[in-house]
Amino acid sequence: MGRKEDNIKKATEVMHILPQIRNLCIAAHIDHGKTTLSDNLIAGAGMMSSDLAGSARVLDFDEQESARGITINAASASMVHAVEGTDYLINLIDTPGHVDFGGDVTRAMRAVDGCFILACAVEGPMPQTETVVRQALKEKVKPVLFINKVDRLINELQVTPEDMMARFTETIKKVNKLIKQFAPEEFKKAWQVSVADGTVAFGSAYHNWGITVPYMAKSNISFKQIFEYCNNEDQKTLAEKAPVHEVLLDMAVTKLPGPVEAQPYRVPNIWTGDLESEIGKSMLSCDPEAELAMMITKIWMDPHAGEVAVGRIYSGAIAMGESVYAIGAAKPERVQQVSMMVGGDRIPVPKVVAGNIAALTGIRSAAAGVTLSHDKDFTPFEAIRHYSDPVVTVAVEPKSMKDLPKFIDALRSLAKADASLQVTTNAETGEALLAGMGELHLEITVYRIEEEQNIKVKVSPPIVVYREGIEGNNRGSAFEGKSPNRHNRFFFEIEPLSEEVVAALRNGDLGDGPVRSSDAKETGNKFGELGMNKDLMRKIYAIKGTNVLVNDTKGIQGLHETRELIIEAFNAVCVKGPIADEPVQGMFIRLVDAKLHEDAIHRGPAQTIPAVRNGIKGAMLRARTVLLEPMQKAFVSVPNNWLGQVTREVTNRRGIIEDMPSEGEVTTVVGVLPIAETFGFSNDIRAASQGRAVWNTENLGFQQLPPQLFDKVVAEIRTRKGLKPEPYPESYYSE
Amino acid sequence: MTAEHTKAPLLPNTGLMLIGMGPGRLSGMSVEALQAAKAADVRRYEAYTALWPQAQLDALEAEVGAIEKVMRPEVELPEALFELARTSLVALLVVGDPLQATTHVDLQLQATEAGLECLVFHGVSITTLVTGAIGLSNYKFGRQTTLTYPYGGWVATSPLEVIAANMHQNLHTLALLDLDPTGEGIGHQIPMRPQDAVASLRLMWDKLADAIEEMPQETALQSMRVEACEALLSGDLDSMDVVLCSDMGTDDESLVATTVAQLEGQLGGRLNSLVFQSKTSEVEEKALLRWR
Repeated sequence: MGRKEDNIKKATEVMHILPQIRNLCIAAHIDHGKTTLSDNLIAGAGMMSSDLAGSARVLDFDEQESARGITINAASASMVHAVEGTDYLINLIDTPGHVDFGGDVTRAMRAVDGCFILACAVEGPMPQTETVVRQALKEKVKPVLFINKVDRLINELQVTPEDMMARFTETIKKVNKLIKQFAPEEFKKAWQVSVADGTVAFGSAYHNWGITVPYMAKSNISFKQIFEYCNNEDQKTLAEKAPVHEVLLDMAVTKLPGPVEAQPYRVPNIWTGDLESEIGKSMLSCDPEAELAMMITKIWMDPHAGEVAVGRIYSGAIAMGESVYAIGAAKPERVQQVSMMVGGDRIPVPKVVAGNIAALTGIRSAAAGVTLSHDKDFTPFEAIRHYSDPVVTVAVEPKSMKDLPKFIDALRSLAKADASLQVTTNAETGEALLAGMGELHLEITVYRIEEEQNIKVKVSPPIVVYREGIEGNNRGSAFEGKSPNRHNRFFFEIEPLSEEVVAALRNGDLGDGPVRSSDAKETGNKFGELGMNKDLMRKIYAIKGTNVLVNDTKGIQGLHETRELIIEAFNAVCVKGPIADEPVQGMFIRLVDAKLHEDAIHRGPAQTIPAVRNGIKGAMLRARTVLLEPMQKAFVSVPNNWLGQVTREVTNRRGIIEDMPSEGEVTTVVGVLPIAETFGFSNDIRAASQGRAVWNTENLGFQQLPPQLFDKVVAEIRTRKGLKPEPYPESYYSE
Repeated sequence: MTAEHTKAPLLPNTGLMLIGMGPGRLSGMSVEALQAAKAADVRRYEAYTALWPQAQLDALEAEVGAIEKVMRPEVELPEALFELARTSLVALLVVGDPLQATTHVDLQLQATEAGLECLVFHGVSITTLVTGAIGLSNYKFGRQTTLTYPYGGWVATSPLEVIAANMHQNLHTLALLDLDPTGEGIGHQIPMRPQDAVASLRLMWDKLADAIEEMPQETALQSMRVEACEALLSGDLDSMDVVLCSDMGTDDESLVATTVAQLEGQLGGRLNSLVFQSKTSEVEEKALLRWR
């Protein structure tokens, strides 16, 4: 058995001994050596050949991460490390270093109890390190400090031992200030790091050495010797005497808490359920024998196994073959395989118990942030996210047509791994429309197609998706749509649906698509509960998105025959409205009268569809059509020195500042701004704050476009679509 | 001789003439209709509701002058046609009678509204031909209908509803057959063959079974229609009696009295129509024997 296999065997054993488990992550600024450090820890622990360490980057199994040199997604790796003859299982979760992946960072923090703060000896802690540390502290994750790249200080900057000490002191002071500022009250003091008590290490991850005061004592290395080894360019000896993995993993084991120690104070922080309940108690005590409670922190697509969900188990155990609920999903799903993660390797095991990190296959409803339990009604760790409508679109096509089949496959798997991504492909032209939650979301998706699938693509500039709606109604003034042969006429009245009904439609509570006449009664009753006329709503024809079509006529001979054609035309208008061919929302459409030709041949699709389409479009115009644009709420946290620059960036983009709560020296600007104005916001806000602003956003849905912009925006959209710049007037639809 | 002198004395100098061509033989056109066609400055042939055999059409062209084919959009949005009729005499040639199976009354009204003179020359319609030729009593026919193709998945049910309602009242039904699979009246005409008609009937039958509960029952007439459909559907489509009428009024005219199931194996002619018979009298039964 090789060392790696031996370690895997040990890992599966130690997993069950809770006091011997540590779950941790590394918080670092881009380029401060996080991945190199991770790999050295993994290699040192015998999970990878030591020659490869520093180049293989086990944690960066997402090719994109290696290529960008930044870590975008959090993966995990388990390793075994012995301290004084006892084996410990270390589960290392990698964290994204890029601030735009804030959600991923938070989730990675949910999975761990301790964290290495990685600071460059030359540059000191950087703004993004601060951000990640802040997030860790907020999640009650205990930090220790590793000052990296000490060799550069000695060899490149030629500092004296005294200077070096002074710099270390400065860095430690900064980190402690952060801890004091952001750690939970009870830990502000206890979590302060210091050289003397062994919570600070320094060294060179690249040259594979590191040292702490306790390790100096243990290995008889003096500070002076370290200085000399570096000066004499003999860091290899130093790496033999004080290997970085040995030193840091020792520090992790002795200075960072295990799950049994951490869960009593961490669970109340991340779970809103009843702590006195059975499951609450078992989570607090990290009981492997109790009911299951697990939070998924990441999903990735494995080329062989498909979707793999990685997460932390807080209570109970998860075993191969059992059925669990992904909270929010209607049905339980079967766990096909349970594994431990070693970088890119998944090692299947029969089960993984509380306090550990597990990788699962078979849970198709799992997504990052989702809670797994045997109890369907279990209180989830994170509010279930309903993906809102995509708001930004880019057109993508392969540069070379020979890549087309590969390109279409790549899109298919991307759409599966990312529920917030909508992909529409045209199999003939090879052009695909990617619709997503924002500019960066689509940039990353495109990057993945290019780098992971190695398909070069052409990408259009991002385009905002608008909506069409109405602000009034045409009650009592029905609009008549005529068929080309003028023998068929349909009369429509339209009004806006209430916000309550729109919300229910958006949630899918009322269904979607044509309503069968056998189901119409039940559907009508549901609308009745939302304050609409129950009897009228029982004559519902169809729902499309947040629009509803009702047959408000009585006894019209032959109407049932044209029902599906009427619905087809209604669907077409919902997808392409009269103003700019954009999707329509929130409309309550009543067919109030119809006149049909006697014979089916004169009221087929070619007659009925244009008549209904024109009838609905004309009625919309009569009810005063408006254009709606997608809005975003941005939360920008920035040190007070840069506050002015940041608020200016928001207000210059038609943004409205809603709130500016401050916490110590940092203020969070809460602004609402149109997505159309957010392209490039990420870079501008970073430039305006010298990289210190940290931001995240949530999509707010659609708001009416300011009337003074209406003509300009409509003309832009229509021109882009090859339509004449001005929309047609109402009279156009009555001819 | 000038164009003025060749015109029949009763015809105006400008305006629109709706000219019935009869079922499909030049010799079957009325003398008056032929004269009018010949006198026209411009001749258009409405080619989306029915068709003449090409040879007969060529003969007509040789007789009366050049003819241009027009499709549904030119007739339904007749501005261009009217524009011509303001300055010249325009003939719109229509198979059969322009105001029978083909409902061009709307065109007639629009032309009058537009201030144009509009004349009509009747022709022999399929509606008169069929009843007479088969030998079923003219007095016992109910509403006529058209069996439509399933346009892009859309299946009509009203043709079957019409047959049902007629049968319920012991009335026969003339069902014309569609000749445009797109339903748009612009493309290549493909007259329905007997087997297409059966396929279409089967789809209608299945759909009507689902749609019956959606049919309005506000009036006694509507309730009767629902009852009629229920009665029809309680029977069997395959054993329904039907007379296949092919190329009526042409040299190839043929009649076959059969059942829907047997109809599938019939080749039919260029243009076909069906008669769904209801209860027959003794005389009618005897007349039908000729086509069995």
